[in-house]
Amino acid sequence: MNARNLNSLWMLMRREVWESPFAFKWAPLLIAGLIILLTIIGLILGARFDGNMTFTVDAMRLFADLPAEQKRLIVSGSLFATSSLFLQVMVLVILFYLAGSLYDDRKDRSILFWKSLPISDAMTVASKLATACIMVPALFLAAIILTQLALLLIGSGYALVAGINPFTNIWWPASLPRLWTVMAAGLLVQALWLLPIYAWLLFCSSWAPRLPILIAVAIPAGVSIAQHSYSLISGFRLPEFNLGLIMLKRLGGGVLPGNVNIEVGSGSGASALEDLEFSEELYMSFSNLGAHLIKPEMWIGFAIAAVLIAGAVFFRRRATDN
Amino acid sequence: MTSIIKASHLSRSFGPVRALDNVDLDIPAGRIVGLIGPNGAGKTTALKAILGLSSYQGELSVLGLDPARERDRLMQDVCFIADVAVLPRWAKVSQIIDLTEQLHPNFSRERCLHYLESTKIRPDSKVRALSKGMVVQLHLALVMAIEVRLLVLDEPTLGLDILFRKRFYSNLLNEYFDEERTIVITTHQVEEVEHILTDLIFIKDGKLILNASMEAIHERYTEVMVRPEQLEAAMALNPLHERVLFGRRILLFDEPDREKLAPLGEIHRPSVADLFVALMGEGE
Repeated sequence: MNARNLNSLWMLMRREVWESPFAFKWAPLLIAGLIILLTIIGLILGARFDGNMTFTVDAMRLFADLPAEQKRLIVSGSLFATSSLFLQVMVLVILFYLAGSLYDDRKDRSILFWKSLPISDAMTVASKLATACIMVPALFLAAIILTQLALLLIGSGYALVAGINPFTNIWWPASLPRLWTVMAAGLLVQALWLLPIYAWLLFCSSWAPRLPILIAVAIPAGVSIAQHSYSLISGFRLPEFNLGLIMLKRLGGGVLPGNVNIEVGSGSGASALEDLEFSEELYMSFSNLGAHLIKPEMWIGFAIAAVLIAGAVFFRRRATDN
Repeated sequence: MTSIIKASHLSRSFGPVRALDNVDLDIPAGRIVGLIGPNGAGKTTALKAILGLSSYQGELSVLGLDPARERDRLMQDVCFIADVAVLPRWAKVSQIIDLTEQLHPNFSRERCLHYLESTKIRPDSKVRALSKGMVVQLHLALVMAIEVRLLVLDEPTLGLDILFRKRFYSNLLNEYFDEERTIVITTHQVEEVEHILTDLIFIKDGKLILNASMEAIHERYTEVMVRPEQLEAAMALNPLHERVLFGRRILLFDEPDREKLAPLGEIHRPSVADLFVALMGEGE
């Protein structure tokens, strides 16, 4: 890919943001505003019960006396937790975006304008995929970072009131560079993990005569129901392999940063959960991400995605306004 | 003379309907070709094949490229308005200009802004908020600002008032067109393009009815406003078409013997519209 292609890809990705400013820019900012607002309301309510702030100040001082390791866990863990709402909304935004991405311009006929530009159909499909995998996560991450900075500032205000040092007790334990790097890397790995789902939506979007999101859901749902009925009738049991469930599992069992990944052994059941120790390793480690990358499921997903993306390019090449 | 568009046995069927039926075309550089036909004649199908927007049978090469397989390369030297009002409605005018500038290597922002100056289109307005005519103006400004070897215009002036239409065609002829470039236009407003065309193609039911240069057409067809007393003699010469104007008969002849026609009445050139009616009305 040469410089001109790269420039075109970047421009096409910006185009996607221009087309969906609400979903890509205002939605994450709205969530950021909501979280900050709820925090402030919570603090105001707290102040009404704790008029002289004595309990708050005590709690802050107790916190300052904790060992550094625990402070780290509490501050960075709560910052991580704020990102979960963002990331759930983000996945929804991406799913709907992809389902419409190769359909909307066919519907409003502006595909005739896009096809008059010297841009290959493969490049067009690549720009939609790159928007879903890189651009949208980057915009949501920016909003997450803004929220975390705002929360840290509020925390610092309280620290100053309590007479403890905000830098050593709040900013340092937050370990922001590591937090943000893990999140960024996690978002990329998650995009790779979800690539077959993304590619499926793109594929449906490229040929669906109407309602691509419905078609994208109806086909796996229909296959699942057929599989279920068949194995219930033939062997009176549930199928071992079920397309719909596999897709749902893939979506739910993602590698979202902040998705705590707990491997529960099959035999040990609940006891394994009790033994589980809450530690940074659960959410903030690069080794988790690396482990995901070498899973065979990841690579099976890549293979499926490659076929579906090729299919999307095939249909896009033939697509016009009718 | 290099061919810009070369097609042989170009066909396309939609079920039983043959939208293009064994069309042969050879359009050289430096021509302005009018592709004229009734609705559903196959004009748009032909243009879509030329622009790489649809599949086809037969052989087709545009600027030496296969449009169906190399559309992206072709579009560096070809520009088209496939239909009016297909600009993305969510975009701002300035965004569309930015996009075209970044994505099209032969686009000139200055020229585009120059054409927009004479309109009421503001850079910060959204396409959605523009009237239909303004969207067409914007699209035309974009297209005229791109340096290409082939420009394809499908009904380019639909929905524009006559002042803008006249200005557009005069710009097209005076500022845009030169002997390196080729323009293909389809339109229903034949009278307005008649004087700028160098070649004329009539298409009907997927077949080319007429494909000739304007000079050849003027050579070949002659209209005579026949004096009433000469009508019988004129009809004997087997006219192609007959119409009545102010109570006088006007007969159209294909390759007539002009010396025989001269005594029958006033001789003049048929307009493209009259020729269209005469040739397309056949068999109906």
